[in-house]
Amino acid sequence: MTAVSLRGVGKGYGGDGAMAFVALRDVDLDIEINDFLVITGRSGCGKTTLLNVATGLATPTSGTVTIDGVDIWSITDAERSSLRNRTMGFVFQFPSLLPGLSLEQNVILPLEFSREEHADARERARELLDMVGLGHRMAALPRELSAGQQQRVVIARALINRPTLLLADEPSSDLDEETEAEIMEILRRIHVEQAVTIMMVTHARHLVAFGTRHLEMADGTVREDTEHEGPYGPA
Amino acid sequence: MVLSTVIISRGGEESLRLARERLGADVVVVPRGSVTGVEGALLLGNATNTYMPRGVVDSVAAVPGVAVASPQLYLTSMANSSCCAVSLMFMFAYDPVTDFTIEPWLKDKLGRDLGNSQAVGGSDVFVPEGEERIKLYGYDFDLVGNLEATGTNLDQTLFMTFATAYDMQEVSRTKAKMALPILADTVSSVLVKVEPGADRKEVAKAITKAVPEAQGVPAAEMFGSYGSQISGVLRTMVVIVVLTVVLSLALMALVFWMSVHERRRQIGVLRALGATQRFVLLSYMAEAALLAVAGGLVGAILAAVAMYLFHDLLVSALGFTILLPSPASLLGLVVGGLLIALVVAAVAAFVPALRASRQEPAVSMRE
Repeated sequence: MTAVSLRGVGKGYGGDGAMAFVALRDVDLDIEINDFLVITGRSGCGKTTLLNVATGLATPTSGTVTIDGVDIWSITDAERSSLRNRTMGFVFQFPSLLPGLSLEQNVILPLEFSREEHADARERARELLDMVGLGHRMAALPRELSAGQQQRVVIARALINRPTLLLADEPSSDLDEETEAEIMEILRRIHVEQAVTIMMVTHARHLVAFGTRHLEMADGTVREDTEHEGPYGPA
Repeated sequence: MVLSTVIISRGGEESLRLARERLGADVVVVPRGSVTGVEGALLLGNATNTYMPRGVVDSVAAVPGVAVASPQLYLTSMANSSCCAVSLMFMFAYDPVTDFTIEPWLKDKLGRDLGNSQAVGGSDVFVPEGEERIKLYGYDFDLVGNLEATGTNLDQTLFMTFATAYDMQEVSRTKAKMALPILADTVSSVLVKVEPGADRKEVAKAITKAVPEAQGVPAAEMFGSYGSQISGVLRTMVVIVVLTVVLSLALMALVFWMSVHERRRQIGVLRALGATQRFVLLSYMAEAALLAVAGGLVGAILAAVAMYLFHDLLVSALGFTILLPSPASLLGLVVGGLLIALVVAAVAAFVPALRASRQEPAVSMRE
C-alpha cells in the first residue's frame, strides 16, 4: 500500500527567468507503507526539497502529492496542518526544540495543535522519553542537553501523535559517530517495532544500509531507486 | 507621552475653566492696564499690587447693563503659612452685601452668611493640626468651609468679608509683629453680574469707557493669554506626540520584523508540527498585545507619577496652572493610553505577523 505518492512533481525557485533554479524535475515516486526510505545525493540535488514537498512543507510548482489518498495541495492550510499533525513526525537537522519549554513540554507540543483530547499526554511523553533514554530528565530544558540528547528528544516529540510517517532530514549530520549510531538504532527500532514509514534524507552513504529502500537523487531527479533485503545496519 | 500631553492640556484647560467659574462673574473689572497682572495673581500667585479707588464700585454699578457690582480686595500674601498646604497663601476680602459668588455657595453649603472672624478657604487651606482656628496677624479665624480645587492660586486663598479684614487689621496693630497693610478706600477688582439679556462684551466695553481708572473684561475672556499659551504648548506637544507615535510605530514594526526573522526556524518547526497560519498570526498578535499592555502600563504609571511629582516644576516651566485629574479620570486616561498602545502595537505587528504566518514552513526553516 502506498503511504505517499508523487506524480510529476516539480519545484523551482526564483521565477521563470534565467536565474530560476529547479530543485525537482517531474518526480514520480510511491513510498509504500513501512518503507524505510533513505534518500541520498549531493548538496543541492533536491533531496530535502523532495521531503518538504512530500509533506506539505513546500508547495510544488507542478504535479500532485497524495498522502493517505488525499491530494495535500487541494486542501486548505488548516486541513494540511491537521493532516501533518495527525500522521507525520519530523526530525530536523538543526536544533528544533523550543528553548523555553521543558523536555516534557517539548514532546507534548504537537498535541497542542491537535483538536483531540489527549488525557494520557504526559504518560506518553514519559514513555517516549524513556524510550530514548531521557525519561529521568522530563523537567530539564533543552540547553541542559547535548546535541545528541536533544535529537533524541526531537525523535520522542515526532512520535507523540503516533504518526504513520516519520520524516528525518539529516538527523545525524551534526553528531559524532557514536551518537549517530544511537540515533539510527532508535530509528531502526521505531521502524521495526512501531511499523512506522520512514523517509530519511542524508548525505552519508554509509547510512543507506539502515533503510529498506534507497533513493539516489541528482539534479532534481531520482537517479536510482533500489530496495534492500536482509537485516538492518551496515553490511 | 500621550498621557502626559493629555494630562497637561486637559489639566490646563480645566484649571482655567474652574478659575473662571470660581470668579462667578459675567465681567471682571480690574485696574486699567493690569489684566495680565491680575490673571497672573489669580492663577499663579504672581505678586501684584494694583488697586483702584473704592469709588470705582459705584461708577461701575451705574453703567447701563450692570445688575450687581461687588468689590474684592487683595489683602496680602503669606509665605509658608502653617494653614496652607502650599508655600504661599493669599487673602482676599469681599463685600457680603453685594457678593454673588461666595455668598450663594456659603448659603448652599452652610445655610448662612459668613460672619465676623470667619473665612472660607480654597482647597489647600486648612486649620493647622492641633489647633481649632487659623491664626493670622494675631487674629483668630474659623475656617467654615473649603471650595473645590481649581489647580490655581485660588486654591490657596482665604476669603473673608471686608468687615473681618478691617477687624483683623485693627487686631494686628497690637498683636502682630507687623500690622496687616490695607490701603484705605481701595479695591483690587470688581465682579459684575450683568442684567438679563445684556451683552457681556458690550457691558465690559461700556465699563472701560465710563470708568477711566478701570478696565472691564468679560469673564469668558479672562485668562485668555493663558488659554493661548496652553493652546501653543498643546500644538507643540501634539506634534511631538504624533512624531513619537509614528517613530514608535516604525520602531515596533522593525522590532517585530527582527523578531519574526530571528524566530523563522521556530515558526517553521511549529508549522511542521501542525500549527496553522492562523495560529502563527494570532500568536504574534497576542505577543504584540501583551508587550503593548505591559509597556503601556509602565509608561502610563511613569507619566502619571512624573506628573504628580513634578507638577510644580511643570507649572513654573509652562507658565500656566494644571489641575491634576481625579483618580477616576486618571484611570480613564490610563485605559485610553493602553488602548492607543494596543492599536499602535497591533498596526506595527500585523504585517510581520501576517508574513510570518503565510511563509512556507520549508522557507522559514531554511538558513
